[in-house]
Amino acid sequence: MNVLGIESSCDETSVAVISEGRLISNLISSQDFHTNYGGVVPELSSRAHLQILLPLVKQSLAQAGITLNQIDLVTATAGPGLIGALLVGLSFAKGFAYSIKKPFIPVNHIEGHIFSGFLMEEKPEFPYLCLVVSGGHTLLLLVESETEIKKLGTTIDDAAGEAFDKISKLLGFGYPGGPKIQEAALNQRTDFVDFPIAQCKNEFDFSFSGLKTSVLRFIQKEYGDASKIPNEHLPSIAASFQYSAVRALVVNTDKALRKYKTNSISLVGGVAANKMLRDEFQKLAGKYKKKLVIPSAEFCGDNGAMIAYRGSQLHQAGIKYSFDFNAFPSLSDHTFIK
Amino acid sequence: MKFPFHKKIKTESETVEIAEEFSKLLIPGEIVLLNGDLGCGKTFFVKSVCRHYGILNVSSPSFSIVNEYHNDKNIVHFDFYRVKKIEELYDIGFEDYIMNNETIVFIEWSNMFMKILPKKNYEIEIKFTNNSEREISIVKHG
Repeated sequence: MNVLGIESSCDETSVAVISEGRLISNLISSQDFHTNYGGVVPELSSRAHLQILLPLVKQSLAQAGITLNQIDLVTATAGPGLIGALLVGLSFAKGFAYSIKKPFIPVNHIEGHIFSGFLMEEKPEFPYLCLVVSGGHTLLLLVESETEIKKLGTTIDDAAGEAFDKISKLLGFGYPGGPKIQEAALNQRTDFVDFPIAQCKNEFDFSFSGLKTSVLRFIQKEYGDASKIPNEHLPSIAASFQYSAVRALVVNTDKALRKYKTNSISLVGGVAANKMLRDEFQKLAGKYKKKLVIPSAEFCGDNGAMIAYRGSQLHQAGIKYSFDFNAFPSLSDHTFIK
Repeated sequence: MKFPFHKKIKTESETVEIAEEFSKLLIPGEIVLLNGDLGCGKTFFVKSVCRHYGILNVSSPSFSIVNEYHNDKNIVHFDFYRVKKIEELYDIGFEDYIMNNETIVFIEWSNMFMKILPKKNYEIEIKFTNNSEREISIVKHG
């Protein structure tokens, strides 16, 4: 069986092919489109998705060595995300599936991330604790089966990745914040400033807005404004911030591991690329003797492979969708996460 | 609440009080602009207003650019922080969102693209005055 996966919920357009359970193509616009088609890819643009999608599908099928008619299942992200961007991938997928008379499965983007660990050689085992951390989402989940996902906690304000981006901009490191902060913080002292870790009403919820404000307040109090921070202090501030942000994620995961019976831990989403977070999760896995699955970098960011995988999972579970299924902007609109 | 409105605030609960009063005035089709430095409490203000419409899932749209919430009122919550060009906003369908008379629209960092904004709006500015105080001002335009 050949499964086509299309992702277009935000900045990235991505197309993947899974054949007989094996991933044989996973093209991501920011990496693959640039080099092969030239020109600048504008961000946040439905038109950009539109321009990139077709060539990317062709390239992906060529890489997989199959033709259009050999696709057996078409999957695409239906939400959450930007409606205009989602509609490009979703409408294409529906039209394509209809024309080749094959089933179509709409996929929840976050559920794609949740099961992205299954793209790895070593897969998570149910029930597993899953932390989804990205620019737009921070969710702690208990994944009991393919269709039973319990939400334990989420952010009450900013997402973890957003905190990295904003603090990075504030410190003058630029975008993307995650890698820049990580680079600056490498081998620096983490106790230069004692930034707080938020305590929320729900013990598994997160809050990163307070951390952002306290970094800002510290800078105002000590230096007046960010432009006056001595260069030698920047890495230590970055390291102290990173330490607090990572601690906040780890502390809640630790609490959940104590409370819920699990077989594995999975750390997914763009922020899962952070080295310190990965190291801390290794420690957690060692402490609780759990199997840890962190997808490799190409599956941490937004990608079509996880959409194709999640789509096939739902298809195999016998779940059917009709062609009038629409794109949805919010996570809560259509999901197995309860 | 009379406009222009100005108040110095020391605590979160004072912001909540102002937001509650403000929430009673807003009607569908209206647009609320929010500006002020990083961490000054723009998202918190929107969250506090929406709480009075029975909406409890407000979070920052900095990454997503736009969030939608529905309960007693329909809310669209924009954040221009990550937007680089005005074309991106047109492409997202900004005009469709703001011309919808059934939704209340909040726009954080609206100052980044003043040209695209309707003249009739509420403009909220939040300033840090010193370490423990902030100043909220609300001006009604048009």
